[in-house]
Amino acid sequence: MLSESTKAELRSIVGAPWFLDTPEDLVSYSYDGFLPEFMPEGVVLPGTSEEISKIMQLANRDKFPVTPRGAGTNICGGSVAKEGGLVMAFHRMNRILEIDSDNMCAVVQPGVVNADLQKAAAGQGLLYPPDPASMFVSTIGGNVALNAAGPRGVKYGATKDYLLGLEVVLPRGDIIRTGGKTLKNVTGYDLTRLMCGSEGTLGIITEITLRLVPMPPAKATLQAIFSNLDDAAQTVSSIIGSGIVPTTLELIDRVVLDVIGNYGGAQLRKDAEALLLIEVDGEPMLVQAQGERIEKFCKERGATEVERARTPEEAEKLWQARRTAFGAVASLRPNCIVEDATVPVKRLPDIIRKIVELADKYRLKIGVLAHAGDGNLHPLIMTDMRDLDEMDRVEKALGEMYEAALAMGGTLSGEHGIGIAKKRFLTMEFGEPALEIMRGIKKVFDPNNVLNPGSFLY
Amino acid sequence: MFPSELAHEFDQCIKCGLCQATCPVCKELLLEKYTPRGKIQLARRYGKDGIDASQHLSDIYARCLLCGACTVTCPSGVDLRKVFLGMRERIAGKRGIHPAVKNAVQSISAHHNISDEDNQERAEWSDSLKDLPAHFLDKGHAEVVYFVGCVASFFPMVQSIPGNMVQIMAQAKVDFAVLGGEEWCCGFPLVGAGAPAQMEELIRHNLDRVKALGAREMVFSCPTCYCTWKEYYKSYLNLYHSTEFLDKMIGERRLILKEITGIVTYHDPCDLGRNCGVFDAPRRILKAVPGLKLVELENNRLKSVCCGGGGNVEMVDPDLSGAVAQKKLQEIQRTGANIVVTSCQQCIRTIKGKARKQKLDLEVVDVTEIILKAMA
Repeated sequence: MLSESTKAELRSIVGAPWFLDTPEDLVSYSYDGFLPEFMPEGVVLPGTSEEISKIMQLANRDKFPVTPRGAGTNICGGSVAKEGGLVMAFHRMNRILEIDSDNMCAVVQPGVVNADLQKAAAGQGLLYPPDPASMFVSTIGGNVALNAAGPRGVKYGATKDYLLGLEVVLPRGDIIRTGGKTLKNVTGYDLTRLMCGSEGTLGIITEITLRLVPMPPAKATLQAIFSNLDDAAQTVSSIIGSGIVPTTLELIDRVVLDVIGNYGGAQLRKDAEALLLIEVDGEPMLVQAQGERIEKFCKERGATEVERARTPEEAEKLWQARRTAFGAVASLRPNCIVEDATVPVKRLPDIIRKIVELADKYRLKIGVLAHAGDGNLHPLIMTDMRDLDEMDRVEKALGEMYEAALAMGGTLSGEHGIGIAKKRFLTMEFGEPALEIMRGIKKVFDPNNVLNPGSFLY
Repeated sequence: MFPSELAHEFDQCIKCGLCQATCPVCKELLLEKYTPRGKIQLARRYGKDGIDASQHLSDIYARCLLCGACTVTCPSGVDLRKVFLGMRERIAGKRGIHPAVKNAVQSISAHHNISDEDNQERAEWSDSLKDLPAHFLDKGHAEVVYFVGCVASFFPMVQSIPGNMVQIMAQAKVDFAVLGGEEWCCGFPLVGAGAPAQMEELIRHNLDRVKALGAREMVFSCPTCYCTWKEYYKSYLNLYHSTEFLDKMIGERRLILKEITGIVTYHDPCDLGRNCGVFDAPRRILKAVPGLKLVELENNRLKSVCCGGGGNVEMVDPDLSGAVAQKKLQEIQRTGANIVVTSCQQCIRTIKGKARKQKLDLEVVDVTEIILKAMA
């Protein structure tokens, strides 16, 4: 419990307006994009690293939990106060400190919205590639904590691939800097990478240095329809195997396509079993040639229809089905569990077949959206959490799906994180020695377990 | 409990938070309670977890422009605007109307307008106009009733709009009437204040007056009056916003437009565009004026950003309204156009007011002004 005297100290650290504990504020920081909700006892909005340091010293002295929160768009329960205490929000630390075009990098505070950084970088002809679906809302601090990625991940990778340096307030209040503006840095253990994807359990990220790349001058967008899901999945692995690295290679299966159609979105031909959305970027000549090759690939492997956008408006139209997909699926039944199992790209057809089989076996409605080009699946389980029998079947199907994904050399989560969503499955991927090391790392950073307790390990 | 239709709306919310991307309010106020998602979640928890009809909660829902941007952004199709209006009603029912909008509501009940003035002054704007058809204010019968709206009737900065509109209609030989002192507030400020039940009398009166004239069509230059009639008035009438009516008259070649050279941009008012779906008519009109070049704002049509003048926010939190207006002004300036055309008197007041304070070289005009000029 946060005592009144602790609250008074918190107010004196950040200034009274930046400590919130009215019911209205507590409720509005009790959720994120995942299902379970937890009421915090207070919300604190620090303005500087020094304030954060003092707050963490207080947390260790009085033993209350602190849970960092960006925009609260994650879907693993990473930013909710699972054991009460404080939620720390970064609304005030939202400045882009520098776009350094000479060194091709940016320095930002954690509360900067991803899309705002993209826009600022684009103003100087540069690109910040990670593009999670939440990019118009989610913050860079949150993106780093969860190592976020998006459709462009096939070619450009995830947040970790752009992370050069950090300023971090450690759980006990020390402020450290890791990495910097250099592309190369092998000095010491790679604490920068360790922080990335640590889900706010090891430290509080207060400043981020990110690598930028030149904005590609041209882009080609294609859509291919297949009347056989397997053909579509095979096409994905053969495109990747052919030496072309698409920017984006998305797959939508029939279940999702049907839902989109009924939702008032794009109506596709009746025999459509899968849709591939493919983009390549780079020099105009190269993009043109690659676009043609991909078109040929799709046709050779059984695509019944291939469309190539000639204008940005046409490209936007081709993206429409993909953009509508999640909302359409989410509104079909009371709950939608967005899964994130990921496999090596070659095994894509196998895992999709497995999911179809599980949906049938457990009488569940599961659609598949996938960042197929990097083997990152988003099976969408349309369900109703009030139906306990159905939830039991969901749980069984999830277990079998992870088992299959891991057997194929894959992982529980490609980009959404573990949080509380997959905590119970962690032992499937890691044996005791690996978990012991992780627990040890957590202990070194946070001996009192005050930072984001309840998330994935403890 | 809530009416089940509202509960259905917030049950649909998947808490993804994407609505924050387009909400002009939460870009200024940052805290989660001011985001559309926050307001939906507070509605869902109403009556639980210490959430009741507090002044704090009333202040939160009062800080919404009712611009509808969140509603069109929501991937799950939640009608957020409907929930926010429902919450205002619920809170007002419990603790009374928000103090900042009380005066306007009292004025409507006392004078049938929001300006606390004698309603007989409604047609003051026409005093200086010449060459108008006789008795357009005092007709026994008319084909078309032009509904002026409170703001354009009483606020000097925008009184030229009805002046433009009646001159255009007169020149196009439209058989029209204006209700003058018999025009009562459309009632939307009451909906915005959380007191829609008080609209009944206004609706009945306005419908009776229009019926008495035997009119079959109505024209509105205020997008909010237009929206309100469409949504809350059950009538047999054909309703047109002034831009639709002008567009129709231009199509029928009843208006002959001469050249005006210049570059203009167009601001889609929330109630006309997003909330009523009128996007093409104003653009067709502007394109029909020879010599006029239209450059679009970065966020246009469905994505248009509110000017800051919506939802009674101006009364509740003028600084917030001003901050939103400032962003709008910057977006307008980025187009390079030095004339911004819109089709809502409230948008003009907000944008022009802000531009004037900063002594900017920016003309802010209603589309009727452009058309009247082109007819000269």
